[in-house]
Amino acid sequence: MSCGITLGEKLPEVIIGPFDADALQRYADVSGDTNPLHLDETLAQSIGFSSPPVHGMKILAAFEPMLKNWRSELKIIALSGKFVQPILRGESVKLTGKVLRVSDTEIFVRLFAHGPQRLPAIIGEARLSPPTEPFA
Amino acid sequence: MQNDQHHLSLGPFRLQVDPTRAKTYALETGGDGLSAPLAYPAVWLAEPTLLEIIQDLCRSQDVIPVHESQSFFYTLELALGESYDLYVLLKRETEPSRLIIEATIKTTTNRLVATIETILRLVPYDIMKAKA
Repeated sequence: MSCGITLGEKLPEVIIGPFDADALQRYADVSGDTNPLHLDETLAQSIGFSSPPVHGMKILAAFEPMLKNWRSELKIIALSGKFVQPILRGESVKLTGKVLRVSDTEIFVRLFAHGPQRLPAIIGEARLSPPTEPFA
Repeated sequence: MQNDQHHLSLGPFRLQVDPTRAKTYALETGGDGLSAPLAYPAVWLAEPTLLEIIQDLCRSQDVIPVHESQSFFYTLELALGESYDLYVLLKRETEPSRLIIEATIKTTTNRLVATIETILRLVPYDIMKAKA
């Protein structure tokens, strides 16, 4: 146990989205990721999507505030994710997390982002470090 | 810049955590905008020098880059307004067809801040259309 965190602890779920075309355009503008696949409905439909897919990074980045809201005293030292399935414009996303490892120096959290599909959109992980103990 | 058949080394690029852009990025991804987002370096990976190489590669091979995975590992926190040096290594894999972007962020005094890995799957346009 570390900082009162227990193995298997579930983080409070967070729902983000649905994201409209303006939201995707704003993310493209600020991130510089102007890949037309995310912005051009005609292009997205030409390769079989009913709507443009949301930038995966927009969703992965949303895990940071989720983790901070859960335990603001912890420092996030690593965040990663595998993009398994696209989230399409207009779909909501459920972010979940579960503590899989706890030590005196590190907390490992498994992360999932789920859209309406059965498979997760993102399988991710975060490593956090507990606050440094003050010297006695 | 160093180049061989499958690797291309770029940089260092001197880049800044622009406070206004960092706040906007944070707000667009659910954050409060009070600190630099962990994922903020994603905006640096869209620098024109790097982006043009990726776009040229995709155009020449008629492929669509699909973001397969992304990771950020930090040893120091990014600070709003601070400048950093970004070193990039592009790796091209053919089986499966991928472009791997390995980036290292250092302070201007050469201290390691973070390492980032971006993996783009390069999917032929026709296959993408058939799968979707």
